[in-house]
Amino acid sequence: MKYYPTIGIECHVQLATKTKLFSEVDNDARHKEPNSCVSPVDYALPGMLPRLNGEAVRLAILAGRAMNCEINASSRFDRKHYFYPDSPKGYQITQFYHPIIGEGYVDLPSGGKVRIEHAHLEGDAGKLTHFDSYSLVDLNRVDTPLIEIVSMPDIHSAKDAHDYCKELWRLMIFAGVSYGDLYNGNMRFDVNVSLAPEGSNELGTRAEVKNLNSFRSVERAVEYEIKRQSKILDAGEKVIQETRGWSDATGETTGQRSKEEAKDYRYMPEPDIPPINLSEEFIATESAKLPLMPKDYREKFGEIIPHDTLEILLDYPQLMRKIAEVAGVLPEEFNSGHTQGRSAKPTVPSQTSSATPAIKLLSNLFASVLLAEEKSAEYLNDLPAGKQLGDLAEMNAKKELSSTATKEVFLRLFDPQMRNKDTRSIAKELGVIQENDLGALEKIVDAVLAKPETQKAQEDFRNGEEKVIGFLVGQVMKESHGKANPSSVQEILRKKLA
Amino acid sequence: MDINCETIEHLASLSDFSLSDEEKTSLTNDLQNIIKYISQLDELNTDDVAPTYQVFEMENVWRNDEIVKQDANREQLLALTKEEKDNQIKVPKVL
Repeated sequence: MKYYPTIGIECHVQLATKTKLFSEVDNDARHKEPNSCVSPVDYALPGMLPRLNGEAVRLAILAGRAMNCEINASSRFDRKHYFYPDSPKGYQITQFYHPIIGEGYVDLPSGGKVRIEHAHLEGDAGKLTHFDSYSLVDLNRVDTPLIEIVSMPDIHSAKDAHDYCKELWRLMIFAGVSYGDLYNGNMRFDVNVSLAPEGSNELGTRAEVKNLNSFRSVERAVEYEIKRQSKILDAGEKVIQETRGWSDATGETTGQRSKEEAKDYRYMPEPDIPPINLSEEFIATESAKLPLMPKDYREKFGEIIPHDTLEILLDYPQLMRKIAEVAGVLPEEFNSGHTQGRSAKPTVPSQTSSATPAIKLLSNLFASVLLAEEKSAEYLNDLPAGKQLGDLAEMNAKKELSSTATKEVFLRLFDPQMRNKDTRSIAKELGVIQENDLGALEKIVDAVLAKPETQKAQEDFRNGEEKVIGFLVGQVMKESHGKANPSSVQEILRKKLA
Repeated sequence: MDINCETIEHLASLSDFSLSDEEKTSLTNDLQNIIKYISQLDELNTDDVAPTYQVFEMENVWRNDEIVKQDANREQLLALTKEEKDNQIKVPKVL
């Protein structure tokens, strides 16, 4: 039988705050010793008082606005009880009843739309490492601020599940709320999959695959679940509602435990943390800090940059911002249009049309030259100045730089020592500026035409041997030490030999 | 609310406690009494009263996002646990 899959995704995003959600210790535990970023609050020692990190509230507002969500004026925390060694408190502080982020939606690049049910702030759990007869607990990750983003069941294919997760990742890194380092677990996905016979209005029983940490595993896990559940339904059996784990190695999901019922978490209001009450003005001020987002770049550059190139560059906020800077689309100008209202459409300055060649050139250089470089990751952290890249584009447009020379100068610009030099002097030092001065070129052409070894070629050309023009252009190029613009040279030659 | 031996067993399993039959009986009694005592509040009509989430009228108690050196160090905190290994807390196998 044919089945229609319905997929909902919960995504945990670690926020890029300096300190944890409820304690004043270092939140960035990458490359740090186990249990070295831990305070008595994280240890849940008796009498410890958690204190809310204001920056986490601000980042949550930005994350919410990035997903076109309402920001709730009033939100508060609850305790979710469970017993496990990754949580010394015996409960997680989360927002069950009144989350900070309300309804919204995420547009997929393919044109689809996934509604956001809500998103809430909560603390992460510690990390367990399992051995044969024991487990070890590292509490560095305890109460790292998270927002958990809960989608509506609007996804119906493995591909859309992949695209939704990737788009969420982009929204979070463009908004600057998370480092988005998937390898280090900055974003983790739980995927609910259910199948119903095609045409049926009822949803089937769902299984949840937990803790996926790449877009590819989300896609593969959904594909696997659709196959697994189809087989069960075809055999006339029932899908069990359960939590399943995913193995990248085997490409399979396996049952973990039957889902605990919600009431078993015994949610209760968190008495230690007073509620968050946000004024309209505060929400508006914080929302206005949202920089240009992927959809803005698609809107602005979609007709200038080829689709595939743009989608590659949209994985790199730094590169898109640099292109926008060179194109004169400054984030500041852009942001004045942002408000809390959903209808607020950003207006983009129109003077960018003259910047079209620069946008085309830079997007191409970034996508096919920079990202192909071995040191590209290093380069991304220290990009050339906007003026340097703008000048590069201008020199290229005026044909002062050939496409090869443009690439050479472009890569040279990434040398940190070049940061205070202007592009023209760098190109001069490299000796790659093309001679376009027609007077100067003519002199070189005349010199070449006066040489005895070019006489035969000139005669052949006059007798209709078209291809010898290449030889003559080559001679001029040699004479100019490669700096002449070949098409200008050919033009002059043809005039002179006519 | 009906508190019986099964309620206690359920709660114990959620917290991974093992209880003797004696403890189960006495805890059932204790919890019954506590619930009974608190249930006196049910006599009040609270139809028009908003739920109380917060007894102090505080809001937005936020701190700055700055790292502060902690008084307790890792060694002191690890010393509070029953067993440690490689600077981590060692617990019985849980998965």
